[in-house]
Amino acid sequence: MKFSCNWLRELVPGLDLSPRDLTRLITMKTAECEGVEPFAPWLEAVVAARVLSAEPMEGSHNLKAVVDAGPEYGTRTVVCGAPNCRPGLLTAFVPPGVTIAAGKHIRSVVIQGVESQGMLASGAELGLNRDSAGVLELDGVEPGSPLPGCPVDHIIEVDNKSLTHRPDLWGHLGMAREVAAITSLRLADPVRGDLIPSGAPAWQVDIRDFELCPRYSALVFENVTVGPSPLWLQARLEALGLNPISNIVDVTNYVMAELAEPMHAFDADLLHGNTIIVRRAEEGEEFAALNGESYRLSPSNLVIADQRGAVALAGVIGGAGSAIRPATTRIVLESANFEPANIRRTSAALKLRTDASMRFEKAQDPVNTVRALARAVELFRIVSPGIRLAGGLVDSWRQAPPPPPIELDLEWLERRLGRPIGKEEVRRILESLSFRVEEPRPQVFQVGVPSWRATKDISIREDLLEEIGRMVGYDTVPPVAPLMPVRRPWVNEERLFHHSVRQMAAAQGFTEVSNYSFISEEMAARFGFTPDEHLRVSNPISSEQTLLRKSLLPGIHKNISDNARFYGEFRLFEIGNEIHKREGRQLPLEAPHLMAAIYTRGDGSAALFELKRLAECLLPGCEARPAEARPYEHPARAGEIAWRGKTLGRLFELHPRLVEQGRAAILDLDLADIFALGPLPRKYVPLRRFPTSEFDLSVVAGLRVHCAEIGARIRDAAGALCERVQYLYSYQGKPLPEDRQSLTYRVTLGAPDHTLSSDEVGTVRRNIIAALEAAGFGIRQ
Amino acid sequence: MLDSTLSDIEARALSAIEAASDAAALERARVEFLGRKGALAQIGKDLGKLSPEERARAGKLLNSVKQLLEERFDKKQTWFEEQALRARLDAEWLDITLPAPGVRPGALHPLTQIQKELEDLFTSLGFAVVDGPEVETEWHNFDALNIPPAHPARDAQDTFWLENGCLLRTHTSPVQVRAMERFGAPLRIIAPGRVFRNEEVDASHEHTFYQLEGMMIDRDVSIGHMLYFMKTLLEAIFRREVTVRLRPGFFPFVEPGFELDIQCLLCGGSGCPVCKQSGWVELLPCGLVHPNVLRAGGIDPREWNGFAFGLGLTRLVMMRYAIDDIRLLQSGDLRFLEQF
Repeated sequence: MKFSCNWLRELVPGLDLSPRDLTRLITMKTAECEGVEPFAPWLEAVVAARVLSAEPMEGSHNLKAVVDAGPEYGTRTVVCGAPNCRPGLLTAFVPPGVTIAAGKHIRSVVIQGVESQGMLASGAELGLNRDSAGVLELDGVEPGSPLPGCPVDHIIEVDNKSLTHRPDLWGHLGMAREVAAITSLRLADPVRGDLIPSGAPAWQVDIRDFELCPRYSALVFENVTVGPSPLWLQARLEALGLNPISNIVDVTNYVMAELAEPMHAFDADLLHGNTIIVRRAEEGEEFAALNGESYRLSPSNLVIADQRGAVALAGVIGGAGSAIRPATTRIVLESANFEPANIRRTSAALKLRTDASMRFEKAQDPVNTVRALARAVELFRIVSPGIRLAGGLVDSWRQAPPPPPIELDLEWLERRLGRPIGKEEVRRILESLSFRVEEPRPQVFQVGVPSWRATKDISIREDLLEEIGRMVGYDTVPPVAPLMPVRRPWVNEERLFHHSVRQMAAAQGFTEVSNYSFISEEMAARFGFTPDEHLRVSNPISSEQTLLRKSLLPGIHKNISDNARFYGEFRLFEIGNEIHKREGRQLPLEAPHLMAAIYTRGDGSAALFELKRLAECLLPGCEARPAEARPYEHPARAGEIAWRGKTLGRLFELHPRLVEQGRAAILDLDLADIFALGPLPRKYVPLRRFPTSEFDLSVVAGLRVHCAEIGARIRDAAGALCERVQYLYSYQGKPLPEDRQSLTYRVTLGAPDHTLSSDEVGTVRRNIIAALEAAGFGIRQ
Repeated sequence: MLDSTLSDIEARALSAIEAASDAAALERARVEFLGRKGALAQIGKDLGKLSPEERARAGKLLNSVKQLLEERFDKKQTWFEEQALRARLDAEWLDITLPAPGVRPGALHPLTQIQKELEDLFTSLGFAVVDGPEVETEWHNFDALNIPPAHPARDAQDTFWLENGCLLRTHTSPVQVRAMERFGAPLRIIAPGRVFRNEEVDASHEHTFYQLEGMMIDRDVSIGHMLYFMKTLLEAIFRREVTVRLRPGFFPFVEPGFELDIQCLLCGGSGCPVCKQSGWVELLPCGLVHPNVLRAGGIDPREWNGFAFGLGLTRLVMMRYAIDDIRLLQSGDLRFLEQF
């Protein structure tokens, strides 16, 4: 939202702050200003000038004009191409050395042998309107004087988000009220209520849905002349980024920019019948809007209609069929109030955001409709001389009961604010913002809320705390540590566990990455996941973010491909949530996982065991169990990680098809399942008092035997005396046959109460050998 | 006669010790003079032929020579041993500038590091660290936070909606409500985590970023209390005194609501591109918790009140390390991540 400093000065007489200071005060007390820019600063140098003579120049459409540009610039010769340049015309003269709109720099130049000592300018060239058909046509000023009604201005841009809760600040008067309160100046209300005519209305209004339209007011005018607005009005709208259109439309926009009340003017002769109907649209009702578009409506949209059909989409945009045209002589001027949520839904559904809908969706003040009409009457009389009111005020209003006053306990106020504040100061602040203050009990105020703050903004005492806090300035509140009982906070063990996993992974050489929760259908397909297994985003911006990941793998895979361009070998990991959809509207299951990866250019086998070591660091004593490979896994290098009897994840090499150059091994652990198991229970076992005995055993087996299986058989056969079975190494080659290998284990035996005899050790050894042989293994002597 | 023989032996032995160039030569000399069949042993045998008086005197003399020579031999031998050890150890010279074998330690993501740092800070101030789901219900993300359907404040948060009617949380604020539901009052929590906005990505905009929500609920919590925690937080983050200003800001879940700005740390407030020439950087939206939010969380606003704040962790990381492209944080690019 843009605010003109000149306009604010008109509404707050005596305001003499610089635009910069004003901007800073508004930021600190009211709403965030994004910046302040001068508007048309070149107007300082532009003056009115009278064309004394205008002669055609041979071979071109240009004219050689001699102008009287007043005492400062004197008589100048200029070359002008405007069709309306003629002797006697009073227009705008730009002296050389001045830069005007769109960065156009004016210099003395020789055109076709004539020195042009400046330029005559159009409204568009000066940034005052959009008219570039000819140079400006002025009247009522002397040559040499500034352009009438167009002083240099400054425009403050306020962040719309910080005005969401302030319907009143969508017009200059609301901001002026703030400025007056901040500076302790008086606010000059531009509205003259006495201009509202009494008597029987010339038009009727029939509101069929008061929920959606609490009030509809209108006036009917006749003897209207439609034409361009005076320059000052065009310039003011242009400064705020509003497009000047015609005197009638411009007045409605001017009043909106001043009072925050959007208005609409209908050509009364293009309406059928003389009743305005406010109703929900029919299903499929077609509506041709002013912007040239056509919309298909539904009963969730509210329309303004005549006997024949919709003539405006309520609170959003007018209709093409009843718009003001040059020939318009009678108008119906609408000033209504609409329910904000419905306006917002309509405007969102039709993707049609207008200056009107933006204001109505903030909950405008129904009291304001008639005030806006009064202001428009005054302005119409200026811009369309001879205009007459036809009949009295049209007004239908289902008035809501006024909101009850708010009780404000001054002690409570001080406790919340965190500083003392005098009763009189509180009263002064509230009254400067037009609140009505009474004190029915000592130290307790009853505060009446002005209508323009009561629609949505202010209803509880906390809202008043804000009014007072911002006006006294929050920088007057000292920071103070609270005095409160010491309480030990709840400890988030699971989060601490995740941090410890991260530390462990980093210590093992893995660097942490963070990937998106989104994947594309293409990424999913690469791993054999179907889109339907995923929770789907309804409104993605790009195809990269259509699905929510149910595995960290697609992201990790992308990391591997990306980084392989720069590194021959690397390790990385991510801790993130897998998202698994559930039935219906339930929240999905979010399962935190660790996925670690090692990329190498070798054959990849070492990497798998490095990952197994990481798993063992996290899960002491875990096992890797062979398991059937999934489609994206290396068919002969895949398994599960099991710990304490539970399968907790997978260890595999990525299918080489998925890795362009080199190999990638992956460890995937379900951290929620691991955390649920709790810390590993530890129990102390007394140290052995008697020495242990050990012997090595080389087992001859097939080439694809599992080391852990033989180890387990040895342990089982060794019985109660077995202290430890340790795999040492394997051997392939002579004298073993080609399809055999030997695996050597060290067996440690011991007893708690005596030193083992060689007989005892021998017996165990024989038992082990017998068991292995029975299972088809050989023993290498 | 004996005297001169002994002094001759002594002189010869000393020069042999002197001349011995290695341990073996020294040992040979020891055998020659001090061995069982050595020169001194020979003289010892001859002592028996002397008169008792002579024997006692000569014996004494012999012993003193023997003692001297033993001392000299030992000393030289020790010297040889030390020499040998020194030579052996010298041969074991290592180039300690060689790189250590095995893998380099990995790095933790800068967002992890800053989260942990702030978790530790707030834990020390008596706050619990809580988590909430990344996929949220519309009620927790909006309605419970005093943002009903069709509220214009929903504009400020472009939302990813999901096919099942849920959404990706647009802020960490729904954790306020979840924490109130779970723990009740009094309450002190922070909730760091990942949030999502449906935006086009460029160097300064991301659809995925991190926030840290904070909330304290107790009796008679004031704006001054909130300011105290905010200043403590900022000084811990920036490890120096920071100048802050508090100005009105609109967030439906707080009343009053504030924007807390810090004086630009780069230019010190005189204006620079980072602070867009304003001298201030917007960092910490905060406010007193709206009574409707307390009610939504099952807490009686007549008895309890509190403050809440939201800190942009992604923004903070970018400020701390002067990172100029937000996309790097989610890129998985090790050239970037290994720097932390």
